[in-house]
This record gives sequence, C-alpha cells and structure tokens, in this order.
Amino acid sequence: MKKKYSLSNILYKVFLWSYGLFSLYPLIWMLFYSFKNNDEIFISNPFGPPLIFHIENYVNAWTVYNVPRYFFNSLVVSVFTVIMTISVALIFSYATARMRWKFSGVARIYVSIGMFIPVQAILIPLAIIVRDLNLNNEYLSLILPYTAFNLAFSSMVFYGFLRSLPVELEEAACIDGASIYRTFFSIIIPTVKPAIATMIIFTFLQAWNEFPIALVLMTKENMKTLPLGLLFFQGRFTTDWGAMGATMVMASLPTVLLYTIFSNQVEKAMTISGAVKG
Amino acid sequence: MNRFFGNKKAIALFILPAMVLFTALVFYPVLQVLFRSFYDWDGLGKGIFIGVDNYIKIFDDTIFKTAVKNGLIFAAIITVYQIGIGSILAFAVSNVRIKGRNFFRIVYFLPVVLSVTVVCQLWLNVFNTEFGLLNKLMEVVGIDFRQSWLDDRYKAIYVLAFVNAWHYVGYQFALLLAGIKSIPSTYYEAAKIDGASSFLAHIKITIPMLSETYKFCLVMSITGGLNAFTQMYIMTGGGPGTSTYTLTFLMYRSAFQTYQYGYGMTAATILVIECLVATILINKLIARKHITY
Amino acid sequence: MKNYAKRLLALLLVTLMVFSLVACNDEVDDAATTSPDTGTVADVADADSDSNADMTEEKITLTIYAQYSDEDTKVPYDYAVAELAKEYPNVELELIVQAQDDGLTIQTYAATGDLPDIFQVGLAQINAFKESGNILVLDDYVESTGFGEALVPSATNLLWNEDGHAYAFPYAGNELVLLFYNKAVFAANGVEVPETYEDLVNAIEVFNANDIVPLSIFAKEGWITTALYDVFATRMAPEGIVALDNGTALASDGAYLEAAERLEELVDLGLVAEGATNMNYDQAASLFYEGGAAMFLNGQWEIQGSTDALGDDVDWMWYPVYSENSEAAHALSGGGAPGGYAVSPYSEHVDLAAEVAAFISQKYCEAKFLYRANPLLACKVAEGLEPEVAFPPMMEKLAAELNNITSTTVFSWGLNNPIFKVTLEEQSQFLLTRGYTAAEFVVEMDKAIEADQ
Repeated sequence: MKKKYSLSNILYKVFLWSYGLFSLYPLIWMLFYSFKNNDEIFISNPFGPPLIFHIENYVNAWTVYNVPRYFFNSLVVSVFTVIMTISVALIFSYATARMRWKFSGVARIYVSIGMFIPVQAILIPLAIIVRDLNLNNEYLSLILPYTAFNLAFSSMVFYGFLRSLPVELEEAACIDGASIYRTFFSIIIPTVKPAIATMIIFTFLQAWNEFPIALVLMTKENMKTLPLGLLFFQGRFTTDWGAMGATMVMASLPTVLLYTIFSNQVEKAMTISGAVKG
Repeated sequence: MNRFFGNKKAIALFILPAMVLFTALVFYPVLQVLFRSFYDWDGLGKGIFIGVDNYIKIFDDTIFKTAVKNGLIFAAIITVYQIGIGSILAFAVSNVRIKGRNFFRIVYFLPVVLSVTVVCQLWLNVFNTEFGLLNKLMEVVGIDFRQSWLDDRYKAIYVLAFVNAWHYVGYQFALLLAGIKSIPSTYYEAAKIDGASSFLAHIKITIPMLSETYKFCLVMSITGGLNAFTQMYIMTGGGPGTSTYTLTFLMYRSAFQTYQYGYGMTAATILVIECLVATILINKLIARKHITY
Repeated sequence: MKNYAKRLLALLLVTLMVFSLVACNDEVDDAATTSPDTGTVADVADADSDSNADMTEEKITLTIYAQYSDEDTKVPYDYAVAELAKEYPNVELELIVQAQDDGLTIQTYAATGDLPDIFQVGLAQINAFKESGNILVLDDYVESTGFGEALVPSATNLLWNEDGHAYAFPYAGNELVLLFYNKAVFAANGVEVPETYEDLVNAIEVFNANDIVPLSIFAKEGWITTALYDVFATRMAPEGIVALDNGTALASDGAYLEAAERLEELVDLGLVAEGATNMNYDQAASLFYEGGAAMFLNGQWEIQGSTDALGDDVDWMWYPVYSENSEAAHALSGGGAPGGYAVSPYSEHVDLAAEVAAFISQKYCEAKFLYRANPLLACKVAEGLEPEVAFPPMMEKLAAELNNITSTTVFSWGLNNPIFKVTLEEQSQFLLTRGYTAAEFVVEMDKAIEADQ
C-alpha cells in the first residue's frame, strides 16, 4: 500500500495523464478549427474555442464540395482493401510461419521488401500497369495496389503472431483427422482474432488516408476519395480552411469509431484466447 | 505431422495470391526503378543508357548529403521516441489496475487516426514563429526562448521528426499492447511473488518475450524514418532552402520537378538499399528467441 | 470473425443508406461520356462557332485539367464554361481539378498516355512534353480559330515559343511583380517611400525599432522568393534571372553576386519577419492588411485584394535602386512566358479540343477583365464590355505607367531550365533565413546553371 503513493508512482501517473491530453488536444483543436473562418484560424484565435460558430463550414463541405460522394468512394475502397489484405496476408503468413517448405523464409523476406518502398518512387510504373489491366477509374484500381502495399506490413504482423502459437494447436486437430483447411478456418483464425482486429484498424487507416496513388489513378470526379477531396479547398494562394476542417472532422469520424470498436475487440479476444490456451 | 505441414497443394494455394499481387504491383515496378536509375531519362521520352553516371553524380550532390544525414536523424529520433514512449504507454495500459485505462487506450492511439494533413497543419500552427502556440506559451511563462522553429536550417529537421514520432507512436503502442496481452498472466504472477515491481517485471519479462514484436517495431520506425516525406512535403516543402530534404524528397524533386526521372530513381534505389541494410542489421543484431509457452 | 463481420456489415449498411440518399442526386450521366463516331466530330468541328449546331447531335465530352481553387481561377473557368454552352451546345467539359503537386499528376498522365484533352501548362512542362510528343503543335489552329487575331500585340511572346511554334493558348498577359506599401504605416513611423538602397536600409531600421515587419512575404512559396532575388538582380542587370536561365550569366557574376550579398545583408538587418520562409499567403497577406508590415511583395493581381483590405492606404512603389545605377528605377520583375491551355495530341477529338482550348482562353481574358479588375491579358476583349466595377486607383496608376516600364523579366514559372528553376526557388528561400551566406548561394546556383550546359 505504501508503494502506491511513492514519488515515482505519482510522476508516472502525471506522465500518463499529460500524455493523454497531449494526444487528445489535436482532435479538440480540429473540432474548434472546423467552426472557424480563415482569420480566426490563422490570426486572431488559432488555439481556443471558436468565438462564432461557423456552422456553414459543414454545410459548405457537405453540399458545395461533393463530400458525400468522396466519402462513399473512400468507404468502398477501404472496406474491400481491408477484406482482401487480411485474407491474402493471413493465408500467406500461415504458409510461411507454420508450414514447412524450402523457400518459406525467402518468400517472407521477399514480400517484406514492400515495407520500405516509397510509393512515390513506383508511381509511374504502377500507373502504367493499372492502365494495362484496364482498371483506370475503377474501384479495383485502388483496392489492388493498396492490398499489395499493405501485404508486407500485415504479413509481418501475422507472422509474428503465428510464430508464437504452440505447435500442439494443430497437432490435436491433425490427430483428429481434420484437413489443413479445416484446421486453418476453425482453429487458427479464432486464435489470431486479436491480430486480425489490429490489422483491420491499421489497414483501414492506411487505405482511408492514402493520397498519392489515388491522386494519379482516380481522375474521374465521381470516383475520387476523400483525401483527394481535400484538394478542392487548397488554392494557389488561398484556401477555405474552415470547410477543409469540417471535412477533416467528418473524415476522421469513421476511423475513430472503428478504432473504438476494434480495440475493444482486441482486448476481449485476448482474454478468450488466453482462456483457451490456459 | 510433416505431411500436414508440408501439404504442397495447400502451400501453393496459400501463397499464390500474395505472391502474384506483390510481384505484379510492387516488385515489378521496383525493378523498373532500378533499371531506370541507369538512364538519363525525363520520364516521358526514350532515355539514354548512361551506366553508373547518375550514381557518380549523386555522391557529389549537396542535397544528397543533406538528405542522407536527415534520414538518419529522422530515423534515430522516431525510433527512440516511438519505442520508448510506446513501451511505457503500453506497459501502463496493460495494467488492469490503472484507473482510466480504457480512456488511455483510445486516447493514446487517436493521433494515428488523424490524416497527416490535419496533423501537419496543427503542428505548423504550434511552431509558427509569430502566432504559434509554443512561442506564445514561452512568452506567458516568461522564458526568453522564442525561436523560429521551422525557419532554422539546423533545427527544422528535428521538429519534423518529432511531429512524425508523435503522430505514429500509437502504432507501436497498439502493437506492443496486443503483444503484452498475449503473454500469459502466469508469467507476471510469478514475478510478483518474487517481489519485482511492475515496471521491472516488464523489463524482465515483456521485453524478452516480445523480442519479435520489438524487432518489428524497430524495422518499422527505422525504415519509416529513412522514408520520411509527407511531413516535409506539407510543413516545409524541403525548406528552408534544402535543409529538410530526405531521399524520398530528392527523388520526388528529380522525378517530377526537374525532369530528371532517371536521377530520381537513383535516389530511390539508394533508399531501398539503405532500408534493406538496416533491416538485415536489425535481424542480425537481435537474434531471434523462440518463445515457448 | 462473425462478430467483426457483423459489425462491419452494420457500419457499412448504415453508411450506405445515408449516402445512397445523397449520392444518387449527383450521379453523372455516364452515357453522355461515351464518344460518338468520328463523323460527328468532323461535323461539329466544321460547324465552327455558328452556334446553331444541330441539337439532335450526340454530346461530346472533353476532359480538361485546370486550376479551380480560388476566386481568380474559379470565376474565369465558370464564365468560360457558361459561354461555351452557348457557343458549342453539344460540347461538355469534364473538369479535373489541377493538383498542387508540382506537375506530378500531369506527368503521370503523360507517361501512361492518359492526358486530358485540354490541360494547363507552364513553360518547363511545354519543353518536357514537346520533346516526347505529348503536346499538340497549335500553329495551324492559331489561324483557323482566329486566336492569332484576338491576341494582344504585346503578348506574342506568350503564344510563340522560342522554337517558333505555339503549344498553348495563353490567357494571362505580361503580369508584373509589384512592391506594395502601406502609406499609413510609413507616415506613422515618419518614413519616406525608399528610392535608394540606402533609404531602404534606413527604413528597415526604423520599422524594426518600432516592431513593424519591413517586408511581408509568403516565402514558403519558392516563386515569390525567386521574384525577390530577381528584384535585386534587376538593379544592376535589367534582364534579371533570364540571363541565368539561358546560361549567359553565372550567379557568381557581378550583378548576381551583388544581389545575393545585398539580400543577405538586408535579411541580417531584419528585412523579413522571423519565420518568413514558413509563411503562406494567408498569413503574409493578413500581416500586411492589419498594419503589421510596411511593405508586401506580390504580383499585380494583388491590387484588388489589397485595395479591399486597405482602401486608400495602399499603393505600389518602384523598387529602390542602388545609388550607383539609378537607371534601373523602372526595371521590373515579372513578365510573361509561353503557357496556358494546351491540347493532347492523343485526344479523340483533336480539332475540336484545340478549338475549345482557344475559345476558353479568350473567355478567360474576358472574365478577368470583367470581374477581376485585370487588364493585363493575352487577348483583346470585345468592344463594349465594361468591367463590373471600376478599376482600383493602383490599377489606373499601373495602366498609366505601363509605357514607362523599361524592362521586365519572368516569373519562376516562365523559366526554361527546370533544374535552374527549382534550385533558384530553393536557394532564394534559403537566402531569406539568417545565417545562409551569399557564398553558399552562389556555389549551388552555379552548379545548377552549369549542370545543363
């Protein structure tokens, strides 16, 4: 009990709370920002709550700037990217982490190269391939490259998780005579739920916020995603920062929501799998 | 068991989609990059093969030197910040008895969900010399430490590295937290009986148990640092002057602003090599520990 | 998994429902974008501007890549589109808003063969695109569309490239870099409008002593720092940065070295605000508008904005001269270079696209004249058209002084050599930070100039 009030303990608590505020403030700031006009944002009141609530920023963003359409496109692209990335990466990692074959290490390292390729570097060759596949201005023209790019990261995470599972997991199933496919679906997938939940968040975020690929591949107004929509607000010299702020608030909502739901799942899933293991 | 894990058909089925997608949409374009780094090419016309001339030229380029140095500074700062603070935060939130841990869990991750435009805009406002929050705060507190943060050729890169570190620390935090959660609590219970304080318990148990996760975090932050681009692009445009250039930025400048696409690809190739070397070194230095339950 | 799937599905459904309500309103009729057979195209092209084109003809959609972000770009575009609908009822434009990405997007379009039918270009792009055949030579269309006749005589340099061909229909005229100042701030601090370098040094010292920023500049943008350097270069060499661009002079030559040295000196004295290199237009402009700065550097298109904000308190001045060369008093920075609306040679409707490009450029001129108080245009405006509001006094003064201008140079987007252009933008910005020396500047600039030789 004595330990609870020790100096280091108090300092630790203070640190946790102040870092919390430090992380939270930008969200609040963005909320303030979305109700201000350019003058308040830059000069008279950059940090405090808005003095006059410019609700029209939201109205403008929603009605003038075609934001609903972008929102819808972003949603379609992100959801399908998540589904594809997780399915493809999970089976791939299972093969490299648990199955025994000669080139599994090579294959794993090969795909992990994707982690450190700057997207801008391969933009032009990539755009040419997408054109050759006749995918220009289709949702797939973003979903496929996003999946390919996220493969490296999610495969590495899944690999780490799968490696840490005991071999006994499959042994029991194998002895029962289950096929590898059945084992994978009924035993492995439930066990790596926390990893899947984590990757849903990460992949969705990547796809939701991606900019350079979308910029060159989605040229049709009707197919643009949200990050491209933000471009509308930026002029050569002037920018409608308030409406941009409103769009950014709306654009951040799904990701905040998603994280709240799935990070909870990570926790719950952990206790379940822990119980199974124990 | 061997037949089970060595099922050739299953292996082929499992790896094929990933291999095809990755090869076609990432690896093949990378080969193109490598190939074009030996060309004098504007990105549009025919181009002339010039051997290693671009590589000779780049080592004499002032911007290249700045870019390599900045990449290293950037990587070092975000690695220390993200892994250090990420661990402390993850240790805290993994402790069931900490009050408000659900709140912390969400709040610590929040910056990650914000788009990079928002984050850069925020910090631009904080670091602004005239109206910025930081300089105003210092005025209020009465410290004479007023600075031009992003306007200084030596300081700007550190500021940008900080912004990146702050933005993405949530990734490391979430990964480490998920990792800690997967360590059976019996380990910690054993440590408690020994009387180890909870922080010490983490150093003795969590870090070795999560060596795979840590290795991964390390690769992520170092390669992320070497690759840095967006913060510069939005916050300083590489400036003042050329002082916050990185290799990616140099590539961008060459490929799309000065019409030296081949030269830009040379920068990109060197960047890829840098990242490969870093990854191999990390893997060599941190020997894998098999985790057995 | 079931749990996630359910949650995701629920999320998706709810959002889908919300959006389908809104989204269905702005579905663009895709059928309209399918291209008609070439016979129709020829018909439309022949119909020319008779405007009574058969309404039963199929609609043709042309894609256009254009700036569309602020009043100065939106107003002319919207005006041109409205006029186009009258003149060419069966042509529809599909706008691709130009990205602020230094040409990455347009270059990728070119590399993948997806160039829009009509697109805006600057000089560096024209040079790159013409070598790889990604830009249509418009020489014949200058005649056939009547654009040549509409062109203002002093703007021929904007249409015809150095190689004697036309690649883009210009709309902006020979614009200028002006040094604006706040008369009230000068008067309140007892400072005369500086005519010489020495006056300027004196003014800087007085303003700084009174906590006024002498010169407000949005130095985050490289083109304006380039213009500032050019202002100093023209004090001794009226051709300014043009000579460096052509490679006929080096940055280590007299006039150019001196420009860098004087600029360094003034920056050390406090010419610009601390943190100037990180200021965007909004910040720099409001610093000037609110009386926090005495002077402001921008193109002449700033006249309207400054007049709206400061009324009679704002004026522009001739740049101060070095006392040893007072002849430079009326040498200005700025000017024009080939650029404007170009046409893709791969367009399915090349002739029509060229015609529409010429038409739009002319309508841009009209819109700028009518609604943007801008008489510096590439094309003549039809007689009888009167601006919506009278030109502000600063514009009247400029119009009256136009003939007294002894020389102009170029804006950074009018520079030929892309390596030089980018390096100058970076290095001139560098010069505006304390501690960066003219010597460092000269070394890097010379390297860039010589790299192209």
